[in-house]
Amino acid sequence: MRVAIAGAGAVGRSIAAELIEKSHQVMLIERDAAQMDTQQVEAAEWVHADACELGSLEEAGLERCDVVVAATGDDKVNLVVSLLAKTEFAVRRVAARVNDPHNEWLFTEAWGVDVAVSTPRMLAAVVEEAVSVGDLVRLMTLRRGQASLIEVTLPEDTPLAGLPVRHLDLPTDAALVTILRDGRVIVPQADDPMEGGDELLFVAAIDVEPDLRAALDR
Amino acid sequence: MGCGRVGSGLAVGLERLGHEVAVVDREPHAFRRLTADFHGRQVVGIGFDRTVLVEAGIEGAGAFAAVSSGDNSNIIAARVARENFGVQRVVARIYDPKRAAVFERLGIPTVATVPWTTDRFLRMLLPDGASTAWRDPSGTVAVLQLPLHEDWVGRSVRNLEAATGARVAFIVRFGRGVLPDGKNLLQADDQVYAAAVSGTVTAVTAAAAEPPPVS
Repeated sequence: MRVAIAGAGAVGRSIAAELIEKSHQVMLIERDAAQMDTQQVEAAEWVHADACELGSLEEAGLERCDVVVAATGDDKVNLVVSLLAKTEFAVRRVAARVNDPHNEWLFTEAWGVDVAVSTPRMLAAVVEEAVSVGDLVRLMTLRRGQASLIEVTLPEDTPLAGLPVRHLDLPTDAALVTILRDGRVIVPQADDPMEGGDELLFVAAIDVEPDLRAALDR
Repeated sequence: MGCGRVGSGLAVGLERLGHEVAVVDREPHAFRRLTADFHGRQVVGIGFDRTVLVEAGIEGAGAFAAVSSGDNSNIIAARVARENFGVQRVVARIYDPKRAAVFERLGIPTVATVPWTTDRFLRMLLPDGASTAWRDPSGTVAVLQLPLHEDWVGRSVRNLEAATGARVAFIVRFGRGVLPDGKNLLQADDQVYAAAVSGTVTAVTAAAAEPPPVS
């Protein structure tokens, strides 16, 4: 696969290195000469250019890329690059880094973004997951924001202990995908009983989350 | 968006014309550029931030001007104003001419500071006959008065267009404007005004100053 990464800072370079290790072709586009440390990722094609300039992207042949990753530390740049990649070069998949969570709402298909990755939000979710018991924790948003991977840790004294999975009156557009218990990954069958301390993983549409929460309280 | 020299001037000017104006700027001290009698809303914040824009009253706004110092900020704010808030009239300023293509693709009208300024200087510095009479706000097309080599007299406008790559917009002949139809023949003392794409002005001028090609 051919991947173009805008921004050759620490994030861009580490993405590049990982992709190269998996035998993909990587192009790193960086505007700042001082950041053009080509030795750090020798196997990548380095392009010294402003990724927001249509001319530069044309020269770099962006239309030949399967994926574009907007990985700079500037949300504005990431938005403009994503939009250009999608609308001018018809790149199949565009991933963008979100630096400031306040801007997250912009990173949608309207700006050409297929996948938005917000580090602060992911970190917060991971912390939340570690500390909250009994609450729904949204770990990840999938498929362009229409569904999420949600985790719930059942308290030790949960009223659901001993009850079978089919007891859960789940809304449509929600699925119980896995139960994590004592280091085991259990694919739940309708008759399997739940236990206190179980971590339940659901994939659910965002708008049915309140119904999911209600189902777990019954 | 933007309370710099242009933004503040625009705000004050618009208010004097009787419009209701709100100004957004990241820096609180930018608002000092506004006059004492300016009584529009002044909002501190980022110009493409939803809450900031709503606070500034974008939901009822009829127009939005993005005149911050950042081209990308202007692009994003202008598009948000139009697409997310349905503002009908949106104009953005751009500094970097290379960004112009992006704005153009998005259909956002622009005022390109650098080509405009360059043009004004050229018109004032250079002798007659080598400057543009008018340039489109995007900076990408110009109308220039084209001095012709004397051998062009009697040749057709179409010939001239083919030789220069420009389009003759109009001719001022004996004090009257003429819209040529291609077949018109050029006459002595015609003042020819040609439309040309930016970057070709020099070549067009040079071609017109040469005798017509022998075909």
